[in-house]
Amino acid sequence: MTGPEPLGPDAGADSSDPKADMRSAADALAGPARNAGGARTTSDLSIDEELVLHSIGWEPVELVSGVSIHAVPVGVWNWGQGEIGYASAAYARSFAAAVDRLHQACTHAGGHGVVGVHVEWAVERHHIEVTLVGTAVRPVGSTGIGTDPVFVSDLSGRDFALLHTAGWAPLGLAAGASFVYAPRRSMGATMKQSGQNVELTNFTEAMYAAREAAMERMQAAALALGGTGVVEVKVTEGPMEFARHAVGFTAYGTVVRLVADEHRHVGARMVLPLDDAQVGFDAASLRGG
Amino acid sequence: MSDTSDGLPQDLPEGASKRLAELEHGLFTSDLSVNEFLLIKEVGFHPVGFVMGSSIYHTGIQTRKWGQSQELTKLTEAMYSARELAMTRMEEEALELGADGVVGVRLDVNYYEWGKDAAEFIAVGTAVKAENGVSHRNKLGKPFTSDLSGQDFWTLMQTGHIPQGLVMGTCVYHIAHRGLGATLGSAGQNVELPNFTQALYEARELAMTRMQDEATELGASGIVGVRLEEKSHQWGSHTIEFLSLGTAVVKTSDEVTLPRPTTIISLDN
Amino acid sequence: MTVPAEPAGDLPEAAVRRFADGAFTSGLTVPDFAACLQMGLEPVGFTQGYCVMQWQWYGMPQMGGGFGYQWGGVRGYSETFNCPHGMVSQEHRAWGQNYEQSWLEDAWASGFSTAYERMLDEAGAAGAHGIVGVVDTSAPLADMGVVEFRVQGTAVRVVDGPAPADGRPWSTYLAGQRLAKLVEAGYAPVSIAATVASVGLWANCVTQYQTEGTAGMFRTGNPGEEIVQTAKAHTAARRIATERIRGQLGPDSLHGASLRTTHRAQGEGDATIEAVLRGNRVRRFKDFDPMPAPRPTVRLL
Repeated sequence: MTGPEPLGPDAGADSSDPKADMRSAADALAGPARNAGGARTTSDLSIDEELVLHSIGWEPVELVSGVSIHAVPVGVWNWGQGEIGYASAAYARSFAAAVDRLHQACTHAGGHGVVGVHVEWAVERHHIEVTLVGTAVRPVGSTGIGTDPVFVSDLSGRDFALLHTAGWAPLGLAAGASFVYAPRRSMGATMKQSGQNVELTNFTEAMYAAREAAMERMQAAALALGGTGVVEVKVTEGPMEFARHAVGFTAYGTVVRLVADEHRHVGARMVLPLDDAQVGFDAASLRGG
Repeated sequence: MSDTSDGLPQDLPEGASKRLAELEHGLFTSDLSVNEFLLIKEVGFHPVGFVMGSSIYHTGIQTRKWGQSQELTKLTEAMYSARELAMTRMEEEALELGADGVVGVRLDVNYYEWGKDAAEFIAVGTAVKAENGVSHRNKLGKPFTSDLSGQDFWTLMQTGHIPQGLVMGTCVYHIAHRGLGATLGSAGQNVELPNFTQALYEARELAMTRMQDEATELGASGIVGVRLEEKSHQWGSHTIEFLSLGTAVVKTSDEVTLPRPTTIISLDN
Repeated sequence: MTVPAEPAGDLPEAAVRRFADGAFTSGLTVPDFAACLQMGLEPVGFTQGYCVMQWQWYGMPQMGGGFGYQWGGVRGYSETFNCPHGMVSQEHRAWGQNYEQSWLEDAWASGFSTAYERMLDEAGAAGAHGIVGVVDTSAPLADMGVVEFRVQGTAVRVVDGPAPADGRPWSTYLAGQRLAKLVEAGYAPVSIAATVASVGLWANCVTQYQTEGTAGMFRTGNPGEEIVQTAKAHTAARRIATERIRGQLGPDSLHGASLRTTHRAQGEGDATIEAVLRGNRVRRFKDFDPMPAPRPTVRLL
């Protein structure tokens, strides 16, 4: 690599004057509030996300959430065989109901979709709950509901804008889960010669199949939404804290579809930053919350 | 390794067939971030589907000889076979999808409490296919695998190279316990322990050599992103698995010039 | 450095002395400090406000009369859930209720606003125009039943700028680059906004059995049913918090909010659900210039 290109004084500079802006802001606060004319918005997007959204012509509308909690009957987690159907069903229903409520809140607020959804789910002994919190957004200046169905996605404002520029649109969240019992036969019984190194096909089949089932359910949900693909799939797996012989596999992601005629290339450029990445002060981290 | 006849490879679970069929019909899934997705598209590839392979393997210990440092060849074979099985199944899924390769491969090991002396080896990744229809499979005609992220894949393609496969070499080594006499003899001194040095040196070299052999088989011109991991799994501290992983690459026939990067100073958090 | 004339309100005397000293203290990191100076904000000093409140988390107003503060009893959200079974037994919970625990919400509001006002007083006494990088916490202190509210931030002056209209400095959770971008985007920080919604859940039989997983002939419906009472309590808590803050916004908007909910189980299916909503109240002071689409880059390092 050859030496760096020197950056001119105006390279990438915009014409803003931060000090003048701050003084104008202070002036505005010193006087009575002028009526902004628009609806009051609430949003949990950071200023960076809001700016990126604006760059594609969208704006935040309202902070919305959807919660659902389904019961898992007693005895479900006792050791059995195969899939723990009740748990898988409870997860699927909780997810679907939470998404549904998020949809309703979004529509009520006049948003065309929800971005930046924080997905939190928990599996406890007697219930499975799903909590979704995000910001409803819409194209700047639009009123009422759009023609397309409301979408929800855990894409950040930034990722939403990037995909939009490339010609893709989010459709919704797809999730799939499968909970299984570990196979019954004890290790000692199967392994006569414990010196042998061999695959335990029973166990492999059970875990592998469960993983595939979770992914397949997610795909089915994606197809039901009419999507072409699922991005940013998050996969988790592991035994239950309260029942170590039960293993849960979950997968969820944002369903997308190409809405432009073809994918638009973004033209990424390679850069060489001269500093180490620094994370600045974030008040939330001091709060410990 | 099982041969793929018509229909699904024999050792993939039945549930996989339905899932892979949906992917073949045009739906894609991937755990790539949006950034990675866009960068993969930039270099002319399209994600086809999330692929995975797993194997639960018995990892029992053979008898340990106290006085000798040595490779535990049975265990080495076991660790290698287990990961190979997982990777092979993942490749079979990719093959089934007609993919050219798999990016973002992650190799994980799960230990379950109900399976003492056994561990689950998992390989997952996103299968990709070239959009221009030209096959980009490796020298063996199989989809390439690599643990490169979307960003690294894009950068690698800019340099005119393409991944051939994730190569690995493993060696399970047992480090002899020192006799009481030897321990007392060097008490209070800071000296090199030549036995230990030799043992660890040999183990790491074995692992890396095996990895390089795999790369040679693929006809690679080099290996990038090599890392050496050391794990004791469930065997106690004197038995260590040395795992060497990297992505074997080969120069493509196209001459690609690397664009000159712009230097920037990032002003934000 | 302006020397305050006399201690404002109920501030400790040490606070007055601290601000009279020359050098300022601030909670800003170096990049944030640089960003503040770039915006023409001069740090004046680190300000704080505290308030300690007596606190009890649970207890319906008609039971245990001295628990917490109970102003106005139960008002606001309340929903009853009747038991679908006939007369069963003394222990069978024939009805359940979700209710807004307004006395807790009032107490939280009182503690928070007292601490906040004291921070404003300190800043105002030091001649500050605003407070940036605010951190607010509430934590139990020593034994049960006592909670301390803390609000802290860095007081700043706008160079060549006007003092705030009513002598109350403006405030924001943001600092540094984020604040600079907020202002550049055309938003002026008005104040931090925070509220707590507390919903008590007195479980009816169905909720109790579902929550505890109790088997028996009173388990209603199919396995995997929604625990309606709990879901409604969670939804209500969030709704109350967002509606209350919207009521406090006036013509302004809420930016960079965070909504956190905690669920405190109290046995037998009872619970308290608390939603805390925090954000920056901002006012548009100039029309928004959308920035051009940013250029995507890939870092080599």
